[in-house]
Amino acid sequence: MHLLIVSCTPRAVAASNTDKILTAFCEGFEAQGNTTERYYLARRDTWPQIRDAFAQNDDVLFALPLFVECVPGMMLEFLETLTPKAGKTKISFLLQGGFVEGCQLRCCEAYLETLPAYLGCIYNGTLLKGGMFGVSFVPDQQREKVLAPFVQAGTQFAQDGCFDKQKANEFAQPEYLSKGKALVLRLSKPVQKMVFRKIAKEKMHSTEPLDAKPFLQVVK
Amino acid sequence: MEYLIVSTLPPQHEGAAELIGQLAETLPQAEVVYTQQMKISACLGCNSCWLKTPGRCPIHDDYEPLMLKFLQAKAVVFVCDTKLGFLSYQAKNLFDRILPLATMYLTIVDGQMRHIPRYHKNLAAAVLYTGQSDNAYLNRWLARAMLNLHGVSLGAYPFEEKGAALDALAHC
Repeated sequence: MHLLIVSCTPRAVAASNTDKILTAFCEGFEAQGNTTERYYLARRDTWPQIRDAFAQNDDVLFALPLFVECVPGMMLEFLETLTPKAGKTKISFLLQGGFVEGCQLRCCEAYLETLPAYLGCIYNGTLLKGGMFGVSFVPDQQREKVLAPFVQAGTQFAQDGCFDKQKANEFAQPEYLSKGKALVLRLSKPVQKMVFRKIAKEKMHSTEPLDAKPFLQVVK
Repeated sequence: MEYLIVSTLPPQHEGAAELIGQLAETLPQAEVVYTQQMKISACLGCNSCWLKTPGRCPIHDDYEPLMLKFLQAKAVVFVCDTKLGFLSYQAKNLFDRILPLATMYLTIVDGQMRHIPRYHKNLAAAVLYTGQSDNAYLNRWLARAMLNLHGVSLGAYPFEEKGAALDALAHC
């Protein structure tokens, strides 16, 4: 199978969690002789080429981060420029988000289930996974561990030719936080704040308080 | 200003013009903003508003003054069209860019992770739309979006149901 992959994150490729996930996914998918071509919506000057590739390919994967409970505005902007097709193109989705629980991604998944029909295409399943916020920040060894399941998911997709709903649901676990996990997260708030401040300082070179309120005076 | 009406449709849009006229007449101290002539880019997902310049988006366009109006309004009404069964990208960008109002810090509400809001502000929002879309889905999405912003959804309504929207806005 040849798969057209469009990375729909607006973030620059070097800092993109979605792209790192895609690289792992492709490792599994291509291991069995499959091929891919990958494009990036963040590179707006390539949109004409992406439109051409969409017109020419019948197996398409859109990979995206969750933005305010649905697809990023930039992705919608691109999709609105596509010419609907004749009905045999299959579109699959790879959706990732920062919060750990799978349930946080279900609202967007529900939209993705309807989207291919608007483009004259066939829905071919969604692989979704939360807890991906730190993929770009963690050390290489830890990143490999986080991304390893996506290598397997790529292999599975090559075998199935789609994202099987039941397997995708298992992949998305945990669907909800267990009471124990929620308690641990509550108790670890001071540690969590320390980690975020460390990321801000080391990766963003910022020492501003992360809960700064620069516009407090205008709030009514 | 009590009510902020933000339209991604131009003032000359026939259906929107009539609707916005009625909203502005009915809702006390309503301010209308048309975004078509404004420069509002898509969110880049860079995390700067959470980690580098907390509370401020690094994109210097026309969005920040609009975001400040969100903080001042009792309720915000988004007037927009729909494409591909969802809000147009112009309208979705208005929501995507709202992240500076949340902090990076997390809390657990009803067993789910949420960002801690940056300000003590109960955002309330309604969407009035034209075009074909699944109303049940738009309501689900708006409720979910406002929940994660620790705000309140006043509902999503097609233009034809403006009466129900006005009722919800009047009682918020």
